Amino acid sequence: MEIKEQNQIIEKKQIDRQDSNDEYVIKLEDVCMDFYTRDEKVDNLKEFLVRFFRGKLEKKRFRILEDVSFDVKKGESIALIGHNGAGKSTLLKIIAGIYKPTKGSVLVNGTVAPLLNLGAGFDYEATGKENVYLNGAILGYSKKELEKKYKEIVDFAELHEYMHIPLKNYSSGMVARLGFAIAIDVKPDILLVDEILSVGDENFRRKCASKINELKEQGVSFVIVSHNMAQVKNLCEKAIWIENSKVMDYGEVNDIVKKYTEYCNSLKH
Amino acid sequence: MKNSGKTGFLQKSWFSRKKTSFVKNSYIVKELVKRNIKVQYRNSAIGVLWTILNPLLNMLVMFIVFSSMFGKNDPYYALYLLCGTITFALMRNATTQSMTSIVNNRGLLTKNKISQYVFPVAHNISAVINFAFSLVALLAVMLFVAIKNYPTGFSIFSPNILLVFVMLPALFLFSYGLSLVLATVYVFFRDIQHFYNVFLTLWTYLTPMFYKPEDFFANAEAGDVSAKLISWIININPMYHFVDYFRDVVYFCASGGIGLPGFGDVLVLYGWGLGAFLVGTLVFSLTRPKFIYNI
Repeated sequence: MEIKEQNQIIEKKQIDRQDSNDEYVIKLEDVCMDFYTRDEKVDNLKEFLVRFFRGKLEKKRFRILEDVSFDVKKGESIALIGHNGAGKSTLLKIIAGIYKPTKGSVLVNGTVAPLLNLGAGFDYEATGKENVYLNGAILGYSKKELEKKYKEIVDFAELHEYMHIPLKNYSSGMVARLGFAIAIDVKPDILLVDEILSVGDENFRRKCASKINELKEQGVSFVIVSHNMAQVKNLCEKAIWIENSKVMDYGEVNDIVKKYTEYCNSLKH
Repeated sequence: MKNSGKTGFLQKSWFSRKKTSFVKNSYIVKELVKRNIKVQYRNSAIGVLWTILNPLLNMLVMFIVFSSMFGKNDPYYALYLLCGTITFALMRNATTQSMTSIVNNRGLLTKNKISQYVFPVAHNISAVINFAFSLVALLAVMLFVAIKNYPTGFSIFSPNILLVFVMLPALFLFSYGLSLVLATVYVFFRDIQHFYNVFLTLWTYLTPMFYKPEDFFANAEAGDVSAKLISWIININPMYHFVDYFRDVVYFCASGGIGLPGFGDVLVLYGWGLGAFLVGTLVFSLTRPKFIYNI
């Protein structure tokens, strides 16, 4: 009788755990990230040998992130706020799978689209059209999908008459618009956004905002890094405040933003 | 259930995961190859035509310089030069471009989750495509030489030429393996670029492209010590075997059919090819998780 009860409890626990795993799209537990750097980057043999014989080759360890834990539920969005160099972008790259954490575990459930830098894959000698195909391939589109989406992308970027000239003749705003149009057309479960929501002119920015809201309504989760607090409040339910590689606070967005703003103001005076 | 860093594939099998990523990567490679070929001659008046003209002009320069020295008794000397240079050029283009490809694409690798393999693969495929273009140049020279040596000259157009496609996969594996090693080393030591450039010059001279190794072999047989040493160096040079095979199928048919390369020659080629491929893949796959922190 007793054993049966225990079994039931164990079963119930297992069911709970399964439920919770389905529910979370991102779950980070005690994630630490270390970078090793030498004082100056030694990337040639002479320098290496000189330092090797002088015994100056010790690496310095930088802890970029320390014991970061949080989770994002399906359809929920989270903002990473904090000062420059706090480790926010590194955290995004860990979620994207570009970096492997030194310690801790990362569970990501669903497809991830990292929008870390617009046009990172652009070749400035190639035309706009060629770049749409190249960049699209890198973001994971198939050829068929791209052929279907090409018109949509160009429409969104509003660059019809420029698609056949090399990117080097574009203005920086135009490049950013093209990059955003390609990236935003993806339909992922999780979208990682790093300070790119303020590209282009006022008109284009409004268009981006409405596109983002549309994706959010479709149930896409966002992890965004932004210094625009109004945007953060508008888009996210939760926020994490990271300062000097550590999580200062984590919780409901209005709360955290308020605390962070107060902290910033206290630094000024 | 803990699966650090893996995304979105929890429900899918290993096989379908591999298949998806293969399809995705091969499309990226295709787009990269397209770009490599186009960028090469962008903004030039005749564009891709240069891929044919380039080996022709290079061959012409070498012909002018060396024909009086090494090609005196050889009516097919132009062909001899071209076979060697385009084979060597495939390896040289593939390796020099792949070497810097990981570092040069740091913008992509640090911002997107893509396989590091796509860049060396794309450069090697581009080099093969350029090689295919130079085959057009080769055909033109063959026609020219054949007319010049009419009527016996036309014997060079034999189906044996198709044997070049037996050599090509081995050469691809060889330069791909070497590319992977060089790309890996370049990530950690940029000096390799300068070493390799000097080494390539040496390699070019050690590979019999404009001179005839048979002279050395004959002297070595006769007991000349320095000729023995040179013969030994030529024989341990993998590029000699590739160049020699290609010349055997194209060139020696013309000069009386000294004999087609045998099965043993093919084994040597694939030995080098597979060896380089395995070493390269091993080195690259073991170190590539560290690339991102060093580029």
